Amino acid sequence: MRVFSFLEHTMTTLFEPPILKTDPQVRRFEDVRQLLPDVEQPTPIVRLGRLAAARELYLKLEWLNPFGSIKDRTAAYMLSELLPEMEGRRLIEASSGNTALALAALANLEDIPVTVTIPDGAPIEKRVLLRMLGAEVLETPDDLCPVDLPADGAIALARAIAGSRGGEAYAWTDQYSNRANVRAHYETTGPEVWRQTQGQVRAFVAGFGTCGTISGVGRFLKEQDPSIRIVAVEPNPGHRLPGLKSFAEAKQPEILDQSVIDQVVRIDDETAYSTTLSLFRQEGLMVGPSTGAIVAASLALDDPGLTVAISPDSGFKYASYFAQFLDDQQQRKDEDARHPHP
Amino acid sequence: MTNNNERTKMPDTLTHDESLDTSGFLCPLPVYQAGQVLIRLAPGQVLRLVTTDRGSLQDIPALARQRGDELLAVEDHGATQLFWIRKNA
Ligand SMILES: Cc1ncc(COP(=O)(O)O)c(C=O)c1O
Repeated sequence: MRVFSFLEHTMTTLFEPPILKTDPQVRRFEDVRQLLPDVEQPTPIVRLGRLAAARELYLKLEWLNPFGSIKDRTAAYMLSELLPEMEGRRLIEASSGNTALALAALANLEDIPVTVTIPDGAPIEKRVLLRMLGAEVLETPDDLCPVDLPADGAIALARAIAGSRGGEAYAWTDQYSNRANVRAHYETTGPEVWRQTQGQVRAFVAGFGTCGTISGVGRFLKEQDPSIRIVAVEPNPGHRLPGLKSFAEAKQPEILDQSVIDQVVRIDDETAYSTTLSLFRQEGLMVGPSTGAIVAASLALDDPGLTVAISPDSGFKYASYFAQFLDDQQQRKDEDARHPHP
Repeated sequence: MTNNNERTKMPDTLTHDESLDTSGFLCPLPVYQAGQVLIRLAPGQVLRLVTTDRGSLQDIPALARQRGDELLAVEDHGATQLFWIRKNA
């Protein structure tokens, strides 16, 4: 009988255990969240053998996180802490894109809606990806609140929405003040770097953004060996390096732990962008522009020995920025050819 | 100029095409929402805006300046502020 055989089939599929189970050894998983890294399953580190042949400089490839950037770690930690209070509420976060992408993807898995405030200059790729994930995207000029300096319109708007009448409907993850952001790196990124270098790491280099990475990894490594050099990278005011912050124009995040930082290296956009292209062309590493800044800063150091630099994300989300950079570069070349310098 | 004459009108005689009440909203939410409405309005139309965050007394004139809109009138009642903004032509 047809109906019976259908029922029988349903019963057997319900009660039979699945044939395949999660097995990280062969990289088979039942849920995308199992791809989030930890010390047993770290993101890789790869030596820059051409660009920095004379050094032992390794890049930690954070675009290999499941949602494409180092912010997957932060988003997973912040969301799991907030989950018990999310019933009937929306998540809200200010982000240059990467935190928001990870939060939106993870929140979708829990049926939690997400609102993102994002600087209106953020690359189109990130703004579209957020919409593809179904997030509400509020594009915000940095000078939205002209009286409230230093200007950071996206953060100010997220704070205002969460703090205004009706704000109870929003849970603001507030990555710039959220200790879970630092804890994510203290418990995962830091121990990964230590283990991957067999405790031989002499220097660690990362950018100033929310400062979760530098504060969390910095603290973990200093606890293992206080002589490990922790180097932060800061862009110039008016930069086009999403994810990074210049504290000449943005407020220092509450979670920044200055006590673990030995040195700050400033890198201009031109150097960051051309180093990014060198990583593409010489190393086959298709990284984003903040990686270019971090690698340029690593190369500017007196060789500290075995160094791990962070690559926060890949270059794919910045194709539109690089289209402009490459066009400008070509135009300068053409002009130089027409008017050669003596 | 007709614009200058209108600026001196008493606010209660000013007409508006759209009204936005942002009572209870903190800065810069009123600026953001006013900006969204002004984008939608036709040139020459007037927005009447109610705010309760005193930061608006600086933020809203700055918004109008930035966008090139005309701030026709401002009333400050302490707990609430009223603005009439004409979208740039
Ligand atoms: C592309 C990119 N680079 C660098 C950073 C900086 O990392 P952190 O926020 O941990 O300081 C971020 C994070 O916002 C980022 O998205």
